[in-house]
Amino acid sequence: MRKARNIAMFLVTLVFVVAWAFPIAWSVLNSFKTERDILAYPPRFVFEPTLAAYREVLFGAQSILPNLWSSMVISVGTTVLTMVLAIPAAYALARLRVPGRRMTGFYILVTQMLPPVGIIIPYFLLLRNIGWMATYHGIIIIYLSFSLPFAIWLMVSYFEDIPFEMEEAAAVDGASRLVTLRRIILPQVRGGIAVTVVFVFLNAWNEFLFAVVLSGNTVRPVTIAMFNFVSVEQTLWAQLAAVSVIAMLPVVILGIVAQSHIVKGLTVGAVKGGGRR
Amino acid sequence: MSMSAAQGIGERDPLPHASDHDRTALSRERRFAAALLAPAFLALIATTTFPLLFLVWISTRRMDLAMPFMDGFVGWENYRQLFADPRFWESLVLSLVYTVGTVVLQVVIGLALALLVIRMKRGQALFRMVAILPVVLSPAVVGMVWRSFMLTPEFGVIDYLAITAGLGSRNWLGDPTLAMVSVIVIHTWQWTPFAFMVLLASLASLPDDIYEAARIDRANAWQRFIRITLPLLRPAIVMVVIMRTMVALTAFAAIYTVTTGGPGTATEILNLYAYRKSFTELSLGYGATLAVALLVLTLAISALLFVIRRKD
Repeated sequence: MRKARNIAMFLVTLVFVVAWAFPIAWSVLNSFKTERDILAYPPRFVFEPTLAAYREVLFGAQSILPNLWSSMVISVGTTVLTMVLAIPAAYALARLRVPGRRMTGFYILVTQMLPPVGIIIPYFLLLRNIGWMATYHGIIIIYLSFSLPFAIWLMVSYFEDIPFEMEEAAAVDGASRLVTLRRIILPQVRGGIAVTVVFVFLNAWNEFLFAVVLSGNTVRPVTIAMFNFVSVEQTLWAQLAAVSVIAMLPVVILGIVAQSHIVKGLTVGAVKGGGRR
Repeated sequence: MSMSAAQGIGERDPLPHASDHDRTALSRERRFAAALLAPAFLALIATTTFPLLFLVWISTRRMDLAMPFMDGFVGWENYRQLFADPRFWESLVLSLVYTVGTVVLQVVIGLALALLVIRMKRGQALFRMVAILPVVLSPAVVGMVWRSFMLTPEFGVIDYLAITAGLGSRNWLGDPTLAMVSVIVIHTWQWTPFAFMVLLASLASLPDDIYEAARIDRANAWQRFIRITLPLLRPAIVMVVIMRTMVALTAFAAIYTVTTGGPGTATEILNLYAYRKSFTELSLGYGATLAVALLVLTLAISALLFVIRRKD
């Protein structure tokens, strides 16, 4: 009786593991198939693997290398700018006597809740008017709207973990505040900074709505460029699979690296989960 | 796992008997803090508050990219049109169906799995690893993968399973009802691991001795679940519901990739309607009005959920 129940439980859990892993695993398999193997019915699990699809999407006529570059520039640019702004702000919010600190904290929390579709129309008109449409700086600045509140809240939680004695000891030694921040405090939150960097990069890499409206042809990231492989006339299945896998690869690696911090990264600050959505 | 992060910041004593020296130190600290905060604060005003005010202004205007010569102030006209617009009300209903559907599924499946996995002696690590994969992916890529490799008739794996099971091939994204079911399933697939991970962490932190006591009292498994586990998990469940509701209400990329709101308007939740009105039909003024409605809806629901949470 007990044994039967254990086996049933095991089977149920197995079904769910497969359900989650399958769509991803299936894309990976498909990306190594020829177009003929991919279209085979019933679906083929054993086949002769080929790199043809990867060769085509990387070096063929519709190479996505420029789009990978765009994704990289946008994500790295967003991450750097976000961290430069977020670290000092988070330190001040977590550690210093700021007038109206609660209000400031609440304000940042509310900005995090804005639905992206709610603000895309003003962005579109603004960027068009100042000629920043389809530019890296235009997109990166707009990505601050979601990455900055998130990064500030995540960093606040790390700054709050440092004992006050560290700063007090440094102050007694006569170190200036900036020196204290740089020499004493920042090294203590190195881990927190790394985790925040991972999440900001991930969210920027995954963003879709802003990129679809604002990136034009010149700075189009991979998440948008994959549409090139699907058209009304025909879908290039193997190549689409290869592009999907390439788009997944960096975030899956980062996700596994930051594995133990994922729950914290997804629940920080409140209302907004990961990824833009 | 503090939700209300605004309260998470500890207040320090405001120096009741401060000497002159302390007072200069305090004002110096404040100036330093202001200097640290200012850049981020200005960036947030520029990228969130200002666009928001601009949005409200746009919503009082007629602004058609296709007919720029017609642009001008119309006052409440867009809002009057909104209330009389059946497509708006339908999109509102679809938003609620989509949100309630996926959030309920995420919490129920996530909780059931967490309860199963917490009892596993081996293999928990594998579970956590697999659970991370969907949540880190771009919803656009997830949508693309599902739309092409899972749901394409006769070629997608889901359709293959349906045929094998004797249900026959279905037009998963072409039939209005099935399309809605499909986009709900896709969102649920991607985000159930989130509910699972949060609830598993919460379960793991529950004290064992309560269960021991219950076992001595001869409570059966179901009673233990209803009387002990569920009340203890309540805060975590409420938090998951709030967070997932906000995300589901503003879901965009996966639906856009899979159906673009179609067939017709079958999966056009309010979010998609605002987008299509603005960037497909190029009617930015009315699109902005829909966006304002979305904003009000989001704020109202989050306020409601926070009130429920505070009552706990």
